[in-house]
Amino acid sequence: MAFETREEGSFTVILVDESRLDASIAESFKVYLFDQIESGKDKLVVDLSPVRFMDSSGLGALVAGFKKTRGSGSFTLASAQPAVKDLFDLTSMDKLFKLHDSVADAVQED
Amino acid sequence: MPDSSQQLTLQIDSQLANTTLVAMAVRGVCAMTTLSPVEINRLELCLVEIVNNAIEHAYNNEAGHPVEVCVGLDKTTMNISVSDWGSSIPGDVIESQQPEEIDPEHPESWLCSGRGLHIVNKLMDQVSYETDEGKNSFIMSKALRH
Repeated sequence: MAFETREEGSFTVILVDESRLDASIAESFKVYLFDQIESGKDKLVVDLSPVRFMDSSGLGALVAGFKKTRGSGSFTLASAQPAVKDLFDLTSMDKLFKLHDSVADAVQED
Repeated sequence: MPDSSQQLTLQIDSQLANTTLVAMAVRGVCAMTTLSPVEINRLELCLVEIVNNAIEHAYNNEAGHPVEVCVGLDKTTMNISVSDWGSSIPGDVIESQQPEEIDPEHPESWLCSGRGLHIVNKLMDQVSYETDEGKNSFIMSKALRH
């Protein structure tokens, strides 16, 4: 399974267990995120630590998840690798998303 | 595509899972150049965006069609062309180079798609698009330090 979910305190941590979050899996990732949100999980942390490469479709799936939780919860990211951080910077998405250095940091904020 | 002293031509079938094959091959060619790790990551991103664009838009996500990637290398420049034989990109899409502004206060600015070409226009030194006898080619260039 490319995506795994675990609970840490009041947070739901979604691990993207893929080295590439790209167009070939973006749609299934978006569906997975929506399933989590629709099942009532409203404090999400996406753990990107295995992701070496992300394209605009992968980014689009994250934006879709972010939009879906807006107003009723939180949606943050953790452990982005340099190329992924660079994509957020290039697209100004760092204005929209909170990028934590680690999952431990992300689940501390309440 | 401009003439280059060394040239590699690759072809994949129009399936998104195949994009990583050309991405990895082009990373290998990049390793022969003076491009930095950050520049190589960015070049990979541009290539992936344009190849995915061909699969998703020229061929409407239909498998069984060719996508050709040519990499040309000389001392000063790396040229990459991505070609398909499907629907061409409308002129207004190619010319739309305004990067959209993200406003955290305005959800209507949080677009889920349409960023690929903006990223490529921002990162590559030169881009062009041409159609010749049904073959659409997106051509991009990156200057090399020497």
